[in-house]
Amino acid sequence: MPAENMGKVPYRLRLAFAISSVAFVVALAISPIKDLRREWKRYKREFTRFAQTRPDTKRLLADFNPGIDQIWLPEMGVVDRCTTCHQGISQPSLAAASVPQPFRAHPPIPHHVQEWGCVVCHRGQGPSTEVAEAHETTLAWEQPILQTHFIQGACGSCHHDDLPETPQLNRGRHLLEELNCSGCHRLQGIDRPVMLGPDLSSIGTKVSREWIYKWLKEPRTITDADGNVTVNGVENEEEPRMPKFRLTEQELRALSAFLTAQRAKPVEPVKFDTRLVAAWSKKPDLVDQGEVRFRQMFCSTCHSIAVTRAGETKLVGGDIGPELTKVGTKVKLEWLAAWLRNPQGYLPNSKMPRYEWSETDLFQVTQYIQTKLVDTDLLGNVPQLGTASDDEVKLGRRLFLEKGCAGCHVIEGIGSQKDFGPDLTSLGAKNVSQLDFGSSKVPRNLISYVQAKITDPHSVNSAARMPEYHLTSADLDAVTTALLAMTGTPMTTGMEKLIVPGHHAEFHPSGEFGKVYERYKCYVCHQFNGFGGTLAPDLSYEGSRATREWTIQFLKNPQTVRPTLTLRMPQFNMLDREAAIVADYLGFVLQHPDVNPTAPAPSEFTPQMAALGKELYEVKYQCQACHTIGTTGGYVGPSLNNTGNWLTPAWIKAWLRNPQVLVPGTIEPRRTFTDVELNALTAYLLTLKQASSTGKAHSASGGASAGGQK
Amino acid sequence: MRTRYLILSLVLAIAGLAACRSKVSTTKPDPLRSSYDSEPDWNDPQRIIPLNYEQAQGKRIFYQQCVWCHADSTPAGPSNRSNVTPIPPLFNDGSVLDAQSDEFFQSIIALGGSALGKSAMMPPYGKTLTQGEIRSLIAFERAIAVPPYQPPVQPGSQSSEK
Repeated sequence: MPAENMGKVPYRLRLAFAISSVAFVVALAISPIKDLRREWKRYKREFTRFAQTRPDTKRLLADFNPGIDQIWLPEMGVVDRCTTCHQGISQPSLAAASVPQPFRAHPPIPHHVQEWGCVVCHRGQGPSTEVAEAHETTLAWEQPILQTHFIQGACGSCHHDDLPETPQLNRGRHLLEELNCSGCHRLQGIDRPVMLGPDLSSIGTKVSREWIYKWLKEPRTITDADGNVTVNGVENEEEPRMPKFRLTEQELRALSAFLTAQRAKPVEPVKFDTRLVAAWSKKPDLVDQGEVRFRQMFCSTCHSIAVTRAGETKLVGGDIGPELTKVGTKVKLEWLAAWLRNPQGYLPNSKMPRYEWSETDLFQVTQYIQTKLVDTDLLGNVPQLGTASDDEVKLGRRLFLEKGCAGCHVIEGIGSQKDFGPDLTSLGAKNVSQLDFGSSKVPRNLISYVQAKITDPHSVNSAARMPEYHLTSADLDAVTTALLAMTGTPMTTGMEKLIVPGHHAEFHPSGEFGKVYERYKCYVCHQFNGFGGTLAPDLSYEGSRATREWTIQFLKNPQTVRPTLTLRMPQFNMLDREAAIVADYLGFVLQHPDVNPTAPAPSEFTPQMAALGKELYEVKYQCQACHTIGTTGGYVGPSLNNTGNWLTPAWIKAWLRNPQVLVPGTIEPRRTFTDVELNALTAYLLTLKQASSTGKAHSASGGASAGGQK
Repeated sequence: MRTRYLILSLVLAIAGLAACRSKVSTTKPDPLRSSYDSEPDWNDPQRIIPLNYEQAQGKRIFYQQCVWCHADSTPAGPSNRSNVTPIPPLFNDGSVLDAQSDEFFQSIIALGGSALGKSAMMPPYGKTLTQGEIRSLIAFERAIAVPPYQPPVQPGSQSSEK
């Protein structure tokens, strides 16, 4: 190209160049303009305007930062920019509901927002700076904000122990455990117990083939006249541990055939005293005595029975053992008698205590169960199945494995199917794209998926093997919350350190006490050092609390100290020797360090002190609001009528000083008594004795109170 | 050449369109699903009152400590209310409790009835419950009160809303 032509660009080209330059400038300007109009910047501006309208403008804008605010928790791998828009989140003056969002303050919670940010609890996308992306599921961000109703699930991700502040989560975890979900699924923080469903190795000796057929078809046994399950089903909140499987007629026949053939351990035939049987056949009303014994022994503390009053059927009794309304139609007489004599002979891990039976009691109670707790129509709809053919048994065995029955049930010779269902230990952290909704209409989010899967597994997967669970909506939400808490192994080591582990204590003492303890299954209802049931009082420090004489009396003949309770300690007919072993063990071992058993001797308490104590009790502190003495007073706390025989002076004093240190969470309020008042009240309470039990206690114990027992 | 401009402007138009993205629509949440816990109105069980975290903690403490004398039915069955003289107010009784200030509740719960010249049958909870727990109890009471509790208008805070 000649030199003079250098720089001479044709006009057209220059025009094109100019236009495209302008176009590029405009294109480049889009980005800053867009940036200026970003959502979070709008909220920033709005907040400064909003703060001007408030009386405390200065304080509200003290930390104002025009850029993005960020809380960074490197330990947890969390970047949280929520406070960019939620600028008033920790301003107490913005708590009122009239303050527009996103500026309202957070209601008080135990974790400080400035320290923990928002997404640790609420989930959602911390790094996002757009409203929709932060809160909702979009293609790029998969975890939506957790609805507040399920937020306890987020608490549970770190708090693997039960917190009092999260009742819904605790209930959900309890249900997952109670409904034996760990039979098929691996769950975070819930171990597989020694026994899930009953061992079926000898089921053929217990129930008939027809009953098995009926049970497999519909595990809820109580139905009203219309055939609706009214008591032990949907409407009663009491879901049987056995869920409902969808089985065809052929499958029902095959499974019942296979199960009825399971007779690993034969049942010994019952031999009752012939005189008892003869008396019974002459006076059929003896059945009433069986019922009386059934009530007196407080079987109802663990087992419920449907009672119809004024046309309304209600279950009365506890839920530790199975409901027994129709058990007479279920079990065979020989099996029942053998079971009551020794439950662990049939099910080694059963929670049922081994009662000490007299021959008469056993006969009467079995007769009562076999004649009164029956329903002749129960098996009315079951076809005559006859004896099982070999083909049916073979098919039944195959089905038993195909349906995953061995996840919960043991049969000799069949291996456990413990991981039959999917592993759920990190279900709560699953993204929507990892869930298989099939072609269902279930809303595409984790909560809807979990709930659909529990109530109707076939709705999301027509080939689902999972049975149906009929939970109330509150229980369904609780189970969902507990599952959302299972977010798997922590991603970072810092996170691992933050996790509060669950508490799994076991208390199985050895020796003579251990034998009695296991025989009567004390831990099913009572707590011992953090292990055991919650139905009855915590006995971790019972040795400091109750006197030896009273304990023996109580074990021999349990009388409630709380008049309003309907579920009471069963009458085990405990032997004298066993009661003494328990009382000695409690006295020597289950002692509270703050209760000094040798501190106050009963002789230290004078009648004058007792008189002052009575006045303090009745006038100054008015303890009768909650406690009963004689027949008057309240029934929030235990009756104090027998305090003098029941409680040790050291315990009374320590209790009055600080009840919560002895029994954490007890509802008796802690007061500030002076030492004089403490002694006076203790002196007064020690004078309260019931004559009848005093006399017996003396004859039973004979100077053992000093602890000099062999 | 004209076609070139056309192409160029088309490209720019597409770029411009791509820059502004359509908004994702957000659905309005159900008030009960966006509350920590809830409590049915004692007088009208059909009406469910949503509770926030603090009110829910108040509910929990109420059902542990207070329900025995300040409600007509309790988790254990019968109520102790009739054994106490004078009969204590129901916890949701706004006609009695709305008139009392938060400070009054704070004192009577912490110090007991006798400290305020009321019945000694109301025990002091100042050593059993924390200040925060007592505050949550008051928050729960205010949430379930019938007639509903109206917080007093604080002098000095004249906000432009309302």
